[in-house]
Amino acid sequence: MGVMSVHQFAQCITCHAWSPDHSMVALCPNNNEAHIYRLVEDKWEKVHVLQKHDQVISGIDWSTGSNRIVTASHDRNSYVWNLEGSEWVPTLVILRLNRAALCVQWSPKENKFAVGSGAKTVCICYYEQENNWWVSKLIRKRHDSSVTSVSWHPNNILLATTSTDGKCRVFSTFIKGVDAKDSKKGTSDSKFGDSKFGELIVQLDLSSSWTFGVKWSPSGNTLAYVGHNSMIYFVDDVGPSPLAQNVVFRDLPLRDVLFVSERMVIGVGYDCNPMVFAADERGIWSFVKYLGERKAVSFGSKYGTQFSEAFGKFYSQSKQGVSNDAVESSRTRGFVHENCINCIMPHMEHSTLITRFSTSGLDGRIVIWDLEYEQDLLEL
Amino acid sequence: MSSSSSSSSSSTLRLYLTCIRNTLEAAMCLQNFPCQEVERHNKPEVELKTSPELLLNPVLICRNEAEKCLIETSINSLRISLKVKQTDELENILTKKFLRFLSMRAEAFQVLRRKPVQGYDISFLVTNYHCEQMQKQKLIDFIVQFMEDIDKEISELKMSVNTRGRLVATEFLKQFI
Repeated sequence: MGVMSVHQFAQCITCHAWSPDHSMVALCPNNNEAHIYRLVEDKWEKVHVLQKHDQVISGIDWSTGSNRIVTASHDRNSYVWNLEGSEWVPTLVILRLNRAALCVQWSPKENKFAVGSGAKTVCICYYEQENNWWVSKLIRKRHDSSVTSVSWHPNNILLATTSTDGKCRVFSTFIKGVDAKDSKKGTSDSKFGDSKFGELIVQLDLSSSWTFGVKWSPSGNTLAYVGHNSMIYFVDDVGPSPLAQNVVFRDLPLRDVLFVSERMVIGVGYDCNPMVFAADERGIWSFVKYLGERKAVSFGSKYGTQFSEAFGKFYSQSKQGVSNDAVESSRTRGFVHENCINCIMPHMEHSTLITRFSTSGLDGRIVIWDLEYEQDLLEL
Repeated sequence: MSSSSSSSSSSTLRLYLTCIRNTLEAAMCLQNFPCQEVERHNKPEVELKTSPELLLNPVLICRNEAEKCLIETSINSLRISLKVKQTDELENILTKKFLRFLSMRAEAFQVLRRKPVQGYDISFLVTNYHCEQMQKQKLIDFIVQFMEDIDKEISELKMSVNTRGRLVATEFLKQFI
């Protein structure tokens, strides 16, 4: 089994992100705080608590180069945290949002970040030296519903978004003065070279339901996202004539995906068990297997939830025979995660291949998976 | 004859409950989702119904005309409404009284809705917060168990009312002997 470590951090985790050297993890325990844990002698110690938001934090990203943390919250705000001495100091971000911020990601060059929001807009934020704050430019009027995830193309210009209106869109985010002209020419995507800020490059209308978890492959050639109708979509040649593949699977929908290589994707979601998708030589994507295995489960576990106790109380008044213990126990799933997994992050990379990744979910655990244990997958 | 009909009805009950269980398992894929219409609000979308794109198609599962189950799903909440079998007036009254008794204590059940959806006897409202605190399987078990028990409970109540009625009648008529 590919599980390297499991740790219960909280009752429920909404999102997490790793420090550049992977020694620390920032996570939100489903409240208005972000906690930073450090691994000290095989034990996780809480070293910092970032308090500034006043509603639940929905997105965290930790930049690798500049060691900055950006958080986005349902309170419509976002903060960039800088480590000064031993303290994390927040910098205000002028998002100009009037609804919750739902997701956030640093651009590859870390001079910008994107925030998806419930106001049906995307904010592209960049630093303004004179005022010492981050300002944002908004992409308006393109989304018909909340923006559920954002992902940067490696060229630092293109941004992919998914939304609850069922579409996946790719935008140009070229900002004068922030992005150098040659950065456009330097990329292989010369066809997007003269695009303006907020220009819609492509709109993919593949899903009949909400879409989540968009990601680019390491080279930026392939785009993957998931639909709530238990589908995963792979798009090649993003541009005027994209090539799309839909892969249907039989289980519950996914929430997020991660490219571990150009041709392999891990999807996580409501099935509590990561799924592996891979492309063959012809580039045809298919479901390969589940990563987690069922543990031996004690099927005799009793009902432990509060309401069943209440339920039992009512019944014991009228029926002596039926008490709590007599209620038939349910099937426990027996996976490493016991509730929906909603976040997957790369943990360790070897050039182009991500060999370790971490998942967190509503059960409050962060699980680190190691693909080295999965020899059959590495040979694919 | 009677034994065969009762076994077939219990097997249709099992099919009905299995169908509901499977539907719930697929429908209970909820997530935290803030309101798109009102600033800083987070409400069950299935109750508000302000953004049609956040709602999924409702599923109606019927065992027969008298017994049905409506499952309405949205991005962050799920509403399950039940119509319980009522063959005669007595069952009607008993169901009404019993479910009212439960609805008045809705907070003890957490997922029980205080008022049933129109046309139904009892409704449950499951939000993403319930899914965060409780295991999904147990939640589904609870609802299915509830449906299983409610019929039993009603018929037991009916039986005890009838027995008591007979007893009272016997006692009352004794004085005329």
